[in-house]
Amino acid sequence: MSGTIRSVSVVWLLLLCLVLCRTLTGTGAAPICANAQAGCYAVSLANLFDRVVQHSARMHGISNDLHSEFEQYFLPSKNQVGRVGRNCHTSTILTPNGKENAQRMAREELTEVILKLLVAWRDPLWHFHRSMAHHHDFTNFSSDKALEMSDMVHELRKGVERVAEKMQTLGLMSDPVNSQVSPEALPPPDSGEWRRMKDYDLLYCFRRDSNKVKNYLKILKCRIVPEHGC
Amino acid sequence: MAVSSPSSNILLLLLISSLDWLSTPGCAFVSDRDHTNPSAPLEPHFTECISREQETFRCWWSPGTFHNLSTPGALRVFYFKKESPTSEWRECPQYIHSNRECFFDKNHTSIWIPYCMQLRSQNTTFFNDDDCFTVENIVRPDPPVSLNWTLLNISPSGLSYDVMVNWEPPPSADVRTGWMRIMYEIQYRERNTTKWEALEMQPQSQQTIFGLHIGKEYEVHIRCRMQAFTKFGEFSSSIFIHVTEIPSRETTFPLAVVLVFGIVGILILIMLIIVSQQHRLMMILLPPVPAPKIKGIDPELLKKGKLDELNLFLSGGGMGGLSTYAPDFYQDEPWVEFIELDTEDADSGEKEDNQGSDTQRLLALSQPVSHHMNIGCSNAISFPDDDSGRASCYDPDLLDQETLMLMATLLPGQPEGGEASLDVEEGASASERSKRALIQTQTAGPQTWVNTDFYAQVSNVMPSGGVVLSPGQQLRIQESTSATEEEKQKNIKESEDRGDEKKQKELQFQLLLVDPEGSGYTTESHARQIGTPPSSPMPGEGYQTILPPPAETKPAVEDNQSPYIAPDSPQFQFSAPVSDYTVVQEVDTEHSLLLNPPPHQSTPPCLPQHPFKALPAMPVGYITPDLLGHLSP
Repeated sequence: MSGTIRSVSVVWLLLLCLVLCRTLTGTGAAPICANAQAGCYAVSLANLFDRVVQHSARMHGISNDLHSEFEQYFLPSKNQVGRVGRNCHTSTILTPNGKENAQRMAREELTEVILKLLVAWRDPLWHFHRSMAHHHDFTNFSSDKALEMSDMVHELRKGVERVAEKMQTLGLMSDPVNSQVSPEALPPPDSGEWRRMKDYDLLYCFRRDSNKVKNYLKILKCRIVPEHGC
Repeated sequence: MAVSSPSSNILLLLLISSLDWLSTPGCAFVSDRDHTNPSAPLEPHFTECISREQETFRCWWSPGTFHNLSTPGALRVFYFKKESPTSEWRECPQYIHSNRECFFDKNHTSIWIPYCMQLRSQNTTFFNDDDCFTVENIVRPDPPVSLNWTLLNISPSGLSYDVMVNWEPPPSADVRTGWMRIMYEIQYRERNTTKWEALEMQPQSQQTIFGLHIGKEYEVHIRCRMQAFTKFGEFSSSIFIHVTEIPSRETTFPLAVVLVFGIVGILILIMLIIVSQQHRLMMILLPPVPAPKIKGIDPELLKKGKLDELNLFLSGGGMGGLSTYAPDFYQDEPWVEFIELDTEDADSGEKEDNQGSDTQRLLALSQPVSHHMNIGCSNAISFPDDDSGRASCYDPDLLDQETLMLMATLLPGQPEGGEASLDVEEGASASERSKRALIQTQTAGPQTWVNTDFYAQVSNVMPSGGVVLSPGQQLRIQESTSATEEEKQKNIKESEDRGDEKKQKELQFQLLLVDPEGSGYTTESHARQIGTPPSSPMPGEGYQTILPPPAETKPAVEDNQSPYIAPDSPQFQFSAPVSDYTVVQEVDTEHSLLLNPPPHQSTPPCLPQHPFKALPAMPVGYITPDLLGHLSP
């Protein structure tokens, strides 16, 4: 008797779990896709760009906060900027260094640069977060920010990929950019370089790169969908 | 969860950092040196490098205490741009010696790439690690332009107000392409205070300042910086906000009070007038509507739904019907029109035709009083308003065709006329009577009704005031009751002679009646006065005096014969047609106008006794005023 009750209750629990899991996964908004296909709903390009730009701005803000926090707590004795030896691992990526250069660059190239940058920072940030968590010197606030930062990079990369897809479907951009930017395409030697960097340098480099990404995305947005916010 | 062991380290570090607070990357300029080494000779150094729009930048230097190097050209600026591992120091692309400034234009400016600045004199190099920066970190945007304010609203208490401030982004900053993202900060203060109030930073180009006080003057300025960066630009020039009290507020208040009181007073006045003059106003606004009132009938009977009772009443049943004192009902109501009723056994056969004629009804024949419930018309006529009385004696709507007959008297004074005629009859000889033109309408039996025109010409006036209507040629004379038999026979003969009495039924004309008593006195006189042409009476023409017919004559006359008044003597019979308009020839003693005096030869006794002479020949039909004077005795 108790066995049957138990089996019945197990079955009920399983059923409940299935239902809940379905609803949980279902309550998340239907995934956004560039085209209005089954199971997802389409967002306009302007909306996508807005989201992406805001995301990048927030990312840059967090990186800025973290960097200044680092400077407060772990102030380098000298101005680190002038250090000749220091080099960011993303220096190999050719990025436009001025407004005109960025504006002159084609959309496809610019998008490619953005994606390259974002891809390049995924692993370093994750490791940085891990290292911050291990070092108890940092406050919780900082480690939370580091985690948020690495998540944001990940999200932003996906968002930019969506934007690129949408632009391609709309005919605003020629063909695929993404194929070059897969993580596997990065040469393995790069993967080691960032490990040698100190945390502070990592933050400094990421702050700079996030500013680049933010600016490039803004330029792209104001060039393609200049309605509001430009 | 601060850990105790590293906390001391952190404190030390904090202490150190507070000393080197200013040496953040990109801001590694000078001031700390002053703090640390005030007495030491100051090397030439860069004072500041600033970019305004993140596209160009400029650096200023100072020779410090080395005054010999202050001459232009003594010091040279070199920069190092870490673009590639093989970069090298280069000289400033553009010197502005007056300012000791080195300007880097667009071509020489790269963002996100570290720059290091160096001063070199002829033999020494003055370099500081702090003088390295990246351009995005030295950006200080220009202040916003076109700052102005508008009043949003004033609080109901009138003490504070809100203001909307708006501006334009600095023209040098390229916000439109998204190259720079700028946040604005507004600060304001009261005119003569020192502390500025800062509002929250926001990227929009307008902002509301709440809670400013009326009467105080405020100073407002604005500055901006790039988002996620720390360096603010310069403040803009200040604008001043000053809102004084609105005076109209106070003046409108008493005005509103005055208006309200005035309106209330006027309303009270109107109410008083209405209350005091209530009756008069009611008379003006709602004049009383004359209700149907029939003299002698209770107005209750005239209300809806009481037709049966009314019929009963009118037909003589019930409470005795119309009484002679009925007029007392309405003595005091001058607008009341009286409808006189006289019920009779109507002869329906003739009635249908007879009743079709208005004039017929007007000259209604009266029956002997015994029959009637009403001498109503005559009574009415005794009242001053003759016309209305006459008219109101006539109301076909009230007729119940079986039993009622509406009769109207055209003339007042019927009984008097009757009496007068009686008197005359008694007093005077027949000849006299003959001179009188008695015209009376009399209610008569149906057979006496004559179909005549509605409009008739007055041919004669009787002393009693009756009027003889004369349409023309024919006379119909009703047979009198006294000399009925003979006359009637004569009449009948005559009528038979007439023959085509087809329209007899359509007796259109009637004459005034004589002698409700039915005595036959009048026949003679009538006959004399009125020329009764022996020719066939035409329907629609002619008038007659209608004598009260004897009851037995009714059936006889019922035929298509018109009743006649057969004169007793041949004098009565006139063959001469009577014109439509006749001249009043004579007035006899009784003040009757003789329109057609009888021929003297035939009726010598009928000569007017009264001394009045025959008037000279007059144009037929008219009487002139001087004649009128003659007429009066």
